[in-house]
Amino acid sequence: MKPEDMRRETLHRDAFAGLSTRRQLIQRGLALGLSIPVINAALAACKGQATPSASSGASGPTFKLGVVTSLSGDDVFGGNLTRRGYDFWAETVNQRGGIEVGGTKYKVTMVYADDQSKPATGADAAERLITQEKVDAIFGPYTSGVTLAVAPICDKYKVPMLAGSAESPNVWKAKPAYTFGIIPSVDLTAGKALAVLVSQANPKPTSAAILGADEPFSKEAAQGFLAQAQQLGLTITKQEFVPPNADLTPIVSSFAATKPDIVAVGGHEEVLINFIKAAKSLNFLPKAIIMHYGVTEPDFARNLGPDAEGVFGLAVWTPDVSYRDDLFGSAKDYDTNSYNRWGSHPDYTEAACSASGEVFAAAVAKLGKKPPLSESDRAKLRDLIEQTSITTFYGPIAFETSGDHYHDNTKPTPVLVQIQKGAVVAVGPAEAKKAEMIYPLPAWNARS
Amino acid sequence: MTLFIQTIANGLLLGGLYVALAIGFALAFGVLDVVDFAVGQWVMLGGFIGYFLWKWTGIDPFLLLPAVFVLFGGAGYLLAPLIMRVRTSRYARPELMVLAFTFGIALIMRGGALTAWGFNTRSISTGLGGVTLQGGGIALPGLRVAAFGFALAAVGLFFLILYRTRFGLAVRAVAQNKQSARLMGIDVERVSALVYALYAGLTGMVGVLMAAIYSVTPEVGVRYTLFAFFVVVLAGMGSIAGVLIAGFVLGVLEALTAVYVSGTLTFLVVFAVLYLSLILFPQGLARRGRS
Repeated sequence: MKPEDMRRETLHRDAFAGLSTRRQLIQRGLALGLSIPVINAALAACKGQATPSASSGASGPTFKLGVVTSLSGDDVFGGNLTRRGYDFWAETVNQRGGIEVGGTKYKVTMVYADDQSKPATGADAAERLITQEKVDAIFGPYTSGVTLAVAPICDKYKVPMLAGSAESPNVWKAKPAYTFGIIPSVDLTAGKALAVLVSQANPKPTSAAILGADEPFSKEAAQGFLAQAQQLGLTITKQEFVPPNADLTPIVSSFAATKPDIVAVGGHEEVLINFIKAAKSLNFLPKAIIMHYGVTEPDFARNLGPDAEGVFGLAVWTPDVSYRDDLFGSAKDYDTNSYNRWGSHPDYTEAACSASGEVFAAAVAKLGKKPPLSESDRAKLRDLIEQTSITTFYGPIAFETSGDHYHDNTKPTPVLVQIQKGAVVAVGPAEAKKAEMIYPLPAWNARS
Repeated sequence: MTLFIQTIANGLLLGGLYVALAIGFALAFGVLDVVDFAVGQWVMLGGFIGYFLWKWTGIDPFLLLPAVFVLFGGAGYLLAPLIMRVRTSRYARPELMVLAFTFGIALIMRGGALTAWGFNTRSISTGLGGVTLQGGGIALPGLRVAAFGFALAAVGLFFLILYRTRFGLAVRAVAQNKQSARLMGIDVERVSALVYALYAGLTGMVGVLMAAIYSVTPEVGVRYTLFAFFVVVLAGMGSIAGVLIAGFVLGVLEALTAVYVSGTLTFLVVFAVLYLSLILFPQGLARRGRS
């Protein structure tokens, strides 16, 4: 420190010295300290639900399952959805006494690790779960970005990972030996939904603009839309990728100037909400807005109210599908029971996370080894998971064993959904349709 | 041409938000010599409190701004002495300790919000949200125009207070030299606490605006801290007039880059310009930054 700086410091300090008596400080500190819990308690009253955690409370050996997901950071919302899905499976299976292996039932214990929405932190967390917690298998993160970082760790230690949420095709292009995906990747789903929208729309849309958040999954969802739009012969008036936190008004204005019939957006929930708000604030209304993940999540319609009306999305699972299994019953039963547990309806990510548990249970039952699993047990478990062919409340599950979608479950077919009167309604294709789709979108100010 | 004017307008309105974010922060720094890492968390808390007040009372969030100001001003007034105590501690490097202290406050606020209110995204809607001012092919979002006006009014009010009132005189004296101010009979502690209260109240109100324009989760605070920080650094630490220029420069630059260069490069270009300007004008755009 330079003498000059030191002098300033001393002056500064002396100016304050003695001004705040200890008693004053304590009084104020106490007042502040006391007010925080009071405010918190008052506000917690309207919060609706508490953060849960699944524990088996079992004695004797249990299957120890690690979950790496986003419990803080930008993707905290989605991270908690995956947690609900995984926990709901664990609680349900433990209520039945556990997973039956060779005539004995073993309960499951979930061990959570927070990836803070950062891939590198996720990889560290996975390594810790494997080497210190000695988990038997891992359930995958909310985002594809973190999944991509965790997969090599699972390969390194030979620990199977069931990715209940990842949708980026890049996860599978890397051919992860120990990672398996429950949801078909976006390049398979985004385009199909857009094609259904275009085929059902009247008058026919002729142009589209594409917006994607510049991150794994979101970008690939947008690219999925883009590839399909080109294939359908739509004129692409504009395509942009933006950082997820960027203000969207400049982009929306530049889209508006090109007058596209359809705007397709790839992003996580916050980007989608901000896009609708920006579009409305600039009075930009294309004939249709289609988004990927997030529309199906009740928060989207709840926050946007009438502004969410008519927005298209897609889902690989809705409670209306006709599948069922022994653990959860029908898709409708799953919806009801999950709602009773968490206070909000599950979307397809929650459902897929719960279904991941069923894949693990089926494979480990076939393996016939009691916990904890050795490295060679886990390698055998990986082979058994690869051979999975089951039908759950979520739908059929079987993994690709070659090609660009290696270890992804490509069986489920996407349904085109639309927000109608605040609810997510299937509007296409014909065999899944529950209501006629609204097209074109009603004017922003003509909604109630 | 229409798109160009629209883009400039978008940029200026966005700049208004940046100014609103940074103005209180700049003042608090100038007077208290404290870089408050919790600035974005005050914004986040403002968003939540605004949301709950709106849900409980059903009153348009814009009319609730004064209530939010009082609440946050009170909290800031109570917190300020603790911050000053760390800032003026007799142990080594109090200027660094206070950084760590406000960083800790930021973490507590973020963690507290996550625990108390959960992870759900919340969004405030106000009557102004549906208003769009249109003419000549240009569309101006009513809410952002209001926020722009709010930012300018806040800056104007700060100048009035600083240069037209006895309290302002005291604030400037404290900012210049605390020792002399004390010798002149100014209650340095009270002035500092009031300035911090003013800053917290203003920043809380900005939070309500941000939750209406975007949405709020316990995690949004960090990015607002970053932007407040960048604006103030570009302005020259502690310069109020510089904040005005820097906020608008950043906003317009961001909008122009997004439309005419590439959306992907938005932040890259903005931050590259920031670093360049730090090399070229180390005292900030207004050339009045404190050494």
